[in-house]
Order: sequence, then C-alpha cells, then structure tokens
Amino acid sequence: MNQSDSRAGELARLFDESLSRYQAELAEAKDEPALRVVHARYAGKEGEIRKRLADALKAAPGPDKRAVGQAGNTALQKTEELFASRLAELHAQKRDADLKRRLDVTVPGRPHKLGGLHLLTQVRLELEGIFAELGFQVATGPQVETDFHNFEALAMPKDHPARDMQDTFYLRSEPGRDPLVLRTHTSPVQIRTMLAQKPPVRIISPGKVYRKDDDPTHSPMFQQIEGLCVDEGITMADLKGTLLYFVQRFFGPGIGLRLRPSFFPFTEPSAEVDIECFFCKRSGCRTCKGSGYIEILGCGMIDPEVFRHVGYDSEKYSGFAFGTGLERMTMLRYGISDLRLFFAGDARFTEQFR
Amino acid sequence: MKVSWNWLCELLDIPGGISPQAVADRLSVSGVAVDAIHPIGKNLSGAIVAEVRGKRPHPKADKLTLVDVFDGKEVTQVVCGAPNVPNPGEPGQSPRVVWARPGATLPSGMTLSVREVRGIPSPGMLCAEDELGLSEDHGGILILQPSDGIPIGADFAQAAGIPDWVFELDITPNRPDLLGHIGVAREIAALFRQEGVRLKQRSIDLDDLRGNQPQSESAHVVVEDPEGCPRYFAHRISGVHVGPSPLFYRLRLQRLGVRALSNVVDATNLALLQFGHPLHAFDLGKLAGQKIVVRRAQSGEKLKTLDGQERELLASDLLIADAEQGVAVAGVMGGQTSEVSATTTEVLLECAYFSPASIRRTARRLKLHTEASHRFERGTDPNALAEVADACAELIIKLSGGHLAAPPTDVYRHQIPTQQLTLRPERTAAILGLSIPVATQKECLEALGLSVTLDGTRLQVEVPTRRPDLTREIDLIEEVARIHGIHHIPTTLPKLAMAAPTTQSSGMIRYRNADRARTLCASLGLSEVLLFSMTSPERVRLGEGSQATQPLRIDNPLREELSVLRTKLLPGLVDLLRQNLAHGQTDIRLFEVGEVFLPSSQSEQLPTEKVHVAGVLCGHRDFFLKPSVSDVLDFYDVKGLVDQLVIGLGLQLTWQPLDKVEVRTEANPRAVFIRSIPEGAKSDENKFWHPGATAELVSVESGEVLGVFGELHPDLRQSLDLPSAAFAFELEVPGLPIEKQPYVAPSRFPATSRDLSFFVDRDVEASRLLSTMEKSSEPLLRGVALLEDYRQPGHVPAGQKALLFSLTYRADDRTLTDEEVQKAHQKVIEHLRLELQRHETHKIAISLRQ
Repeated sequence: MNQSDSRAGELARLFDESLSRYQAELAEAKDEPALRVVHARYAGKEGEIRKRLADALKAAPGPDKRAVGQAGNTALQKTEELFASRLAELHAQKRDADLKRRLDVTVPGRPHKLGGLHLLTQVRLELEGIFAELGFQVATGPQVETDFHNFEALAMPKDHPARDMQDTFYLRSEPGRDPLVLRTHTSPVQIRTMLAQKPPVRIISPGKVYRKDDDPTHSPMFQQIEGLCVDEGITMADLKGTLLYFVQRFFGPGIGLRLRPSFFPFTEPSAEVDIECFFCKRSGCRTCKGSGYIEILGCGMIDPEVFRHVGYDSEKYSGFAFGTGLERMTMLRYGISDLRLFFAGDARFTEQFR
Repeated sequence: MKVSWNWLCELLDIPGGISPQAVADRLSVSGVAVDAIHPIGKNLSGAIVAEVRGKRPHPKADKLTLVDVFDGKEVTQVVCGAPNVPNPGEPGQSPRVVWARPGATLPSGMTLSVREVRGIPSPGMLCAEDELGLSEDHGGILILQPSDGIPIGADFAQAAGIPDWVFELDITPNRPDLLGHIGVAREIAALFRQEGVRLKQRSIDLDDLRGNQPQSESAHVVVEDPEGCPRYFAHRISGVHVGPSPLFYRLRLQRLGVRALSNVVDATNLALLQFGHPLHAFDLGKLAGQKIVVRRAQSGEKLKTLDGQERELLASDLLIADAEQGVAVAGVMGGQTSEVSATTTEVLLECAYFSPASIRRTARRLKLHTEASHRFERGTDPNALAEVADACAELIIKLSGGHLAAPPTDVYRHQIPTQQLTLRPERTAAILGLSIPVATQKECLEALGLSVTLDGTRLQVEVPTRRPDLTREIDLIEEVARIHGIHHIPTTLPKLAMAAPTTQSSGMIRYRNADRARTLCASLGLSEVLLFSMTSPERVRLGEGSQATQPLRIDNPLREELSVLRTKLLPGLVDLLRQNLAHGQTDIRLFEVGEVFLPSSQSEQLPTEKVHVAGVLCGHRDFFLKPSVSDVLDFYDVKGLVDQLVIGLGLQLTWQPLDKVEVRTEANPRAVFIRSIPEGAKSDENKFWHPGATAELVSVESGEVLGVFGELHPDLRQSLDLPSAAFAFELEVPGLPIEKQPYVAPSRFPATSRDLSFFVDRDVEASRLLSTMEKSSEPLLRGVALLEDYRQPGHVPAGQKALLFSLTYRADDRTLTDEEVQKAHQKVIEHLRLELQRHETHKIAISLRQ
C-alpha cells in the first residue's frame, strides 16, 4: 500500500462519514424545503462534501487527482440518490395522509348565486325565436307616441267610440302640436315600419304599452307582442296558419285554435283567437271557465284605411296583423294568477324562474 | 248589454225551438261575444199569487206578522218576517203577495213545508224578490197590485214571465244595431236561417192609438242645427195617467239592469231596450211655449240634468230647449224642469237622430256616459225613427192610458240615404283564402237584411242605415265570413319571399344591446326585475340630485305616484331593496334594463327615450355557510361588475388620461374612462351617493357622463332601513353596434413579469399611474396590473400609500432574455418617474422587487 492509496482510503472514509450524517439528517427532515436545506449543506456549492472534494483535489498530486475525483463524485451521486428516495418517501407519506381525509360531503356547498332574466324577458325571447322561424323580424318604436301613429293612422279618428276600447294616458302637450300619448298598443310600430318600407313586410313588435287600468287582471303598464305580414296574396288562411304554428310551438303540439269574429278598428275582418284549453283538454275547467277554450289574442286582415295612411295600395297588397299580451301568454303557461307579481320586483318571485 | 231570452222569443218565429245555450254558442263564434248567460227564476215552481185578507202581530215575536192569504179558494194563515206586509183592502182590490206553499221549490233549491215559527205553524212563506230569484233585494216581500193584472191563484212564475235567461253581450263599438233586442233578434235570425228562424213582422196602426179623440196641432219643433240633429221626430200624447208600470214590465226592466220609474218613462226605456234607439218623454205642460227648439247652447248656459247636477254648457254642445231655456242635453240626459211626474197628463215623445261625434264630445266633456249617449255616439238609425216612436207611443198608451193627440212632427230636411256598395265575389276569396260560391255570398248578405242583386259578376248591395259599420267592400267581406262561418277558412302559411333585409335601425341596435345587457347582468349574478315607466315626482327628484331634469307629466294619471315618466331607473330599484328586505330577503342583487324618458328640444316631435341598465346590491358576496366580515360587499364589487358590463357592451375601458388634449384626438366613440364624481356633485342635496365611494363613467370623445356607480349615501341607506352598505350602478345602454374584437393568436413564447413597488402620495389615482406606464411606448410591455394598495400607518409614510404593480413583458417572436426584460422594465420605470415629475409635484420613491 503506497501513500496515495492510504490517502485515498482516508478520503473515502471521510466521505462515508459525511454520507451517514447526511442520511441521518435527511431522515430528520420532515418536508421538502427542510430536505433541500440538508442537501445544500452537504452537496451544495458550499456543501461539506463538495468542499472536501475541492480541498482534496487541490491537495492531491497530479496522478491521484483522477482517483480523488472519482471517490468524490461517487459520494455526491450517493447524496442525490438518498435525497431522491427520501423525497419520494415524504411524498408518499403526504399522499397517504391526504388520502385518509374524509369530508362530510353532505354539508351544503358554497353557493354561487345565480342571476337570471325576468320571466317575461325569457318568454319574449322565446316568442321572438318562434316568429323568427317564420321569417318575422323584430321591429321597435317609441313608447311615447303621437296621436297620429297610435290612433289616427290605425283608423281611430278623434271622437271615434273605438277609442273607448283603450283607456289612454295623455302627456302634457303644447297647443297646435299633435297630442302625445303613452302608446296603448305596439301597433304604431307597424305604422312606422310600413311608412319606412315597401312590402313584403314581416315583423313582430314586442314592447311595453300603457292603459289607464289597474286591478288584479289589468296593469297600467304591460307588454304586447304584435305581428304584421303584408305582401301580394296574403289571406286570412295564412293568418290562421301562422297563428296555429305559433300556438303549437308555444303551448304544445296538437293544440287547436278557433277564430271568433270580432272588431278592431285597424283590421277587417277581425277575430279573437281561442286555443283549446290545454289544462282540461276541452272538458271544461276553471281556467277556460268551462268553455274548453281560452282567449289568447286578437287578429285580422289589415284594414284598407290603414294601408291608405301608409301609402300602400290595398288592391295590390293584403296583409294580416295579430297581437297578444306577453303577460297573458306567460300567466297561462306558468299558471300565474296575479298579474301584479310581474312588476312587484319581489326576489322570491323573480328567482324562481332560472 | 243585457238581453232577455223571453223578449227575443217574442220577436222571433222559432219553428223547431232552440235552446238559449245553442244561441249563445253560435252568437259567440259569429262576432257577438256572450260573456255570460244567467238563468232567472230557475227551479221556481209552486209559488202562487195570493191576496192579503188580514194581518195581525205574532203573539210571541214583535217582528213577525200573521198574514191571512186567499188563493182563490180558501184563506190560510202564514207567518211572515217582512216589515212591509200590506194592509188588506176590499176582497178583489186588496194587495197581492207571492206565496210559496208547502211543496213549492225556490231558485235556491229550497223546498217548502209546514214549519213552526215561534209556536205557530206556517204553511210555506211569503217571498221577497231575492227568494224568487228576481234580484238581490231582500228589503221586504214582493207586493203586487190588482192593476198588475195577475189573477189570484195564478202560478207566479208563468204569469210574471218567469223563468227567463239573461244574456250578457259584449257589443263591439262598430255594431250599434245590436244595442237593442230587435238587432240581436235579427242577428239570430240570420245565424239560424237554415233552421227556419225568422224575425216577426209587426205593424202599428196609428188610428188605433188616436182612440177616436179629437186631434189637435202637432208638437211644435224647430231645428236650428240640422247638422247636429239631422232628424227630429215627435209624438204628442194626451191623457196619460202617470203611475207604476205593471209587474211584468217592472220585472223585465229590472232584469235588464234598468230601474223601473213610472209607466211613461218605463215605456221609453223599454223602447230603447227593444230598438236600441233612445227616446225622451217631456212633460209638454212644462215646456215654455209648448215648443221644442234644437240648437247649440250658449257658452256658459246652465241646465240641471235629471241626476240633479247643474251642468255648464259650451257653444259646441247640442241643446234641446223650449221657448225659454234648455230642457235636455241632446242625446245625453234630460233636464229636471220638464221631467215627467205624477201630475203629467200630456207628453211630448222625442225620437231624434243626433250626429254621433257631437254627442260623444259633449258626453265625454261632461263625463256623463248614459244609455242614450252610448247609443247615439255609436250611430243610431235615422230612418227608423217613426217605427220606434210609434212603438213607444203604443206602449205608453198601453201602460198609462191616453191617446195620440196629433199627427207626428217629423223635421227631416235631407233624407239620409242607404249605402250602395259593390262586392266582387273573387275579392272575398283573395282576402279570406277561401272560395265561397257567389250564391252563398249573396245569401249570407241577404240573411242580414241587405238587398243584394247580381250584376254581371258583381254583387250590388244596398245597406240599410241601421248598419253604419258597412261602408266598404271589405266590410261586406267580413259579413260574408261571419255569416258563412269563419271556421271554414283553411290553414296555410304565407307564401312570400323573405322580407327584404332592412338595415339595422339605431332603435334595433339599442334593443339588441339591451338584451345583451340583460344577459350580462344575469351572468354577473343579478336577477332581473321590471318596474313601471310611470313614477312619482319625488322619486324623480331623489334620482336627479342637483341636475334638475323636469320629468314628462301625464295629464290624466291614475294617481300621483304614477304621474310622471321616470328619468332614471335607480330610484325605483333602490325602493325594491327596502321592500325585499322587509320580506326577509338578505343578500339582494337586482337589475333592470328599461326605458327612461327625457324632454327633448322644441324641434323634436317626440321626447327622448334612452335605455338604461341599473342594478342594486346589498349584503354579502357568495359565502360558505355563514358570512364573515370579509364577505361583506364593498365598492370594488360594484366596480368590478360595471367593468365587465362596460366591456361586454362593446365599450373600451381606458385609464383616465393625463392630458385631455391628447385624448380628444382619439375620437373613439367607444372609449370610456372612470373617474371619481366631481366635487360639485359630492354635495348632492338628495344624498343619493356616498361622496367618497362613487364614480362616473365618462365618454372620452364627448366628455359626457354615461353612468354612475358606487355606494349609496348613508342617509339614504338609513331612510330605506338598510342594515348594511348598499351599492348601485346605472348606465346608458349604448346605441352603437357591439364590434367583435379581431382574433389574436396566443403567443407561443412565454411572458415574464416584474414587480414594481413604491410609495406615492395618496391622492395620486391608480389609473393615472397605470395609464402612464401603458403609454411608456415600450413595445415589450404587454400588461400592467395593480397587486397591492397598502396604507397601514407605521409601515407607510404619512399621507402616502404603498403600491405594488406587476408588469408583464413578452415578445411575439422569441423568448426574452433576463437582460432584455430588465432593460425594458428600467425604461418603463424611467418613463413613469419623468412623467410624474413633469405633471405633478408628487415625490415618488420607486423601489424594485423581483
């Protein structure tokens, strides 16, 4: 055994001794950061083993450097292995501990409060969608209207008894100007549309309307949805077909309808539309007052007088119009009996319809 | 309108017999809405008319009477509790009562028997009107006079025209001809023509009504306003004895909702109910000069109407006057001075035709809607006056005695002609989408009493004046559809080219954006509500604060709380917070999207309508099981919500600019920024917003304030009784189309961030620092975020705050080196330092942190 051999043996012993202390300290460390601190102290840049190796390399004569280096690298490699296995052990312990966790899954979850659209908005969007399938575009107009657009152009001149059918709110107006009203129906939108474009016209006009009425079944403000279709060759049969499509899409397949002649100043012939009562299947119940039918809307063929006001030739064009209350549609479908709930802003009502 | 089935049956020949229900059903589907059918006197049987022969008090009860009644064979004692048992008179002339004998049944379903009343047996009972199913009246028993002509012992139900059915009809304003039984009967005859139902024809011979009495001069009538009164027809009837009408007629009127008054007046009302044409009876003796003048009132002329009200008239009102003064508001209501009374012996019976528009104007102005004005303003038949007046005169003479004293007066200068219309039968098919044979169309129109002739391929139709609604071909088409049966119309879908695409109007853009705002608010956890557009002036004031926008007023509001149109949504929403809390709700988040109304400039025809979106929040954020202090909502909740809303509505949220001139050149209509409310608005007299926790949303382009959000003022909170702070926002829904942002592919190269923290004076707003950093023109800087705003005393110099920002750097074509990032970061810091020194005097100590 020469001198270099014994130096090498001494060095290996010192490395072994460091390794065993390193291993003991690793075993003491309980988490990854602590593990890394220990590791740095032995195998880091300034660590004990690396330092010792550097010193030994410096001290060793040339030919021995290779053996010294090999011993040092073996030790360092060993630290990496020990570190990795201890880290894996810690991870496994943590994982096992985590898997022992047992929650009471029946405790209520952290709620995510949902917002939502008003039921009437939901129904309006649905109706807009149904009529879009038939090619009806949405049209809008102002809610404060001129007497001309709301009445005159719809064949309801001043001093006409038909005005009694709609109790009207008037706005303070200046003398000499056309009086302003809160529109009593969305029909003025039809007038504005026809004044602005030539046939074919196929629109629906949803929106707020106002009548001077206030009781459980009448609200001074409510929403209407009206339809208008004008072209050459439009007939009352087309009106009936359009309504049947709408009724079956909205209230359910198989529901029939009937027209009852009626009167509106702006349509001729005019009709009220009843649908077969979907609550009792026409056997008679409270909703249909025993008649088997529920009244849902008014309709008719556009009166030539209206065409005259908008400059359409009533010999060339014909058309139909219909209108219904959004609230009424909604109340029927959801079985809501008090109209005022829609406008009361009670969160307990609003939040039911998500 | 109420219609008696028995009366209809008097007017019609019904060979096979039809049920009231069948008639109601067919009327309903043919244009005459039947709201209800009420049975009258149903189940009434066994009640007879008996004469009162004696009465005395019940020995054991003050309020009961023992009544001796005679049924034509024998006298029976009945116990009666009514207060109005009549005193007996001579047999045969004594008052009569209705006696429900044992075994009789009443409409209530009760069957009578012998029952002991306070120790005395009573065989059945004497009946009040309600017990007989005649009315709701239970004030006393029904008393009949011998003059009612119902014999003793007769079955009451049969003798008095009971049972009956009353139809409640909803007559549309275009059909004044249906406002009388004869019109309804004519309609039924048309609808049941195939069953052989026909209207009975009846004529009156005036000679019979003259009663061989000497004839004097006709009533003197002067029509000064033939435009307002195209025709005035009058009978002069002498020798009347005014008194009650017989029971049959009293019951008939009552059943139809008209109070029986006296035979003469009742006769005019019965004629009105039969023909739908109003008549008026004047006491001729009370008419000055025994003369009628139809003229316009003098402005301010006064007249006391039959309801006891003094009416002041205008020169536009049509007046019926005598030689001296007004005696009736024409077509609306009679006056008191010439009213028929017990002493009247001579009557002038008016049956006139008045111009509908004139009557309507007067009735509306006087707020006097009467049976007469209702019919006149819808249009009566000017050519039926003689027939109606003759029938009414006949009835007056039948009920009150008397006779026609003179030939009738008829002032009718210009005959109102019947309408001549042409119907092209193919036009019916073009409108209805249903081919109806020409012969059928002709037959339908004839069934309604129109005269129709076939002229080549066209139908020439003569429309009687009782149908003012039939003036055009289209009106005839409707009649054909109704009478033929609208149910024959088939079901097709419109064959039409897609409606030409219209360019989106600004109104439609706003409408779509409003729906977008609704969806956004709902996704942000708010529930939608809908409130009235009408509100109270106080609420408007609460919302408007120091800016005094005058709301639009409704001339005829339902009530003061709904008398103006809202200018903002929040005052209504804020009140909902209070209401919902009162219902026991706690964490409330509500929104509304709706119109607000603002006065517009003189040149505009209509006021300005804008769509706003507004919301209110109070309580906590979503919490687990039980809210903790850190779950309480604060200003930054509402701000974060508004940020999302603004971006979702297509607006571009920019940081508040440092230099206004520089920003105005951007001219981007979508650019908005947020700033704290100006000092002036902080002293808001309504105390709506908290002055230190409220911000405005401002358009960069115009400087216009588009919205406000923040915390409600503590005083408002207190007045609403809110337990904790509440937050709100309101902004205008933009009328610009929402532009889609161009797609940018995510970078393949990683971003690096650097922190930057420093102390700065507290009043330097974060937006100012963020905007400066973003404008540093460093191309690698891709984002700046504020991570901390720290103000703990002791850790931060007095009057300052510690801010921590994170700056993100990235290149699109390579991974940045540390050196590149460091260089860029230094450049941004330098820019920030210089800019702040240039514009402000604030000291800034910038320190760097990795």
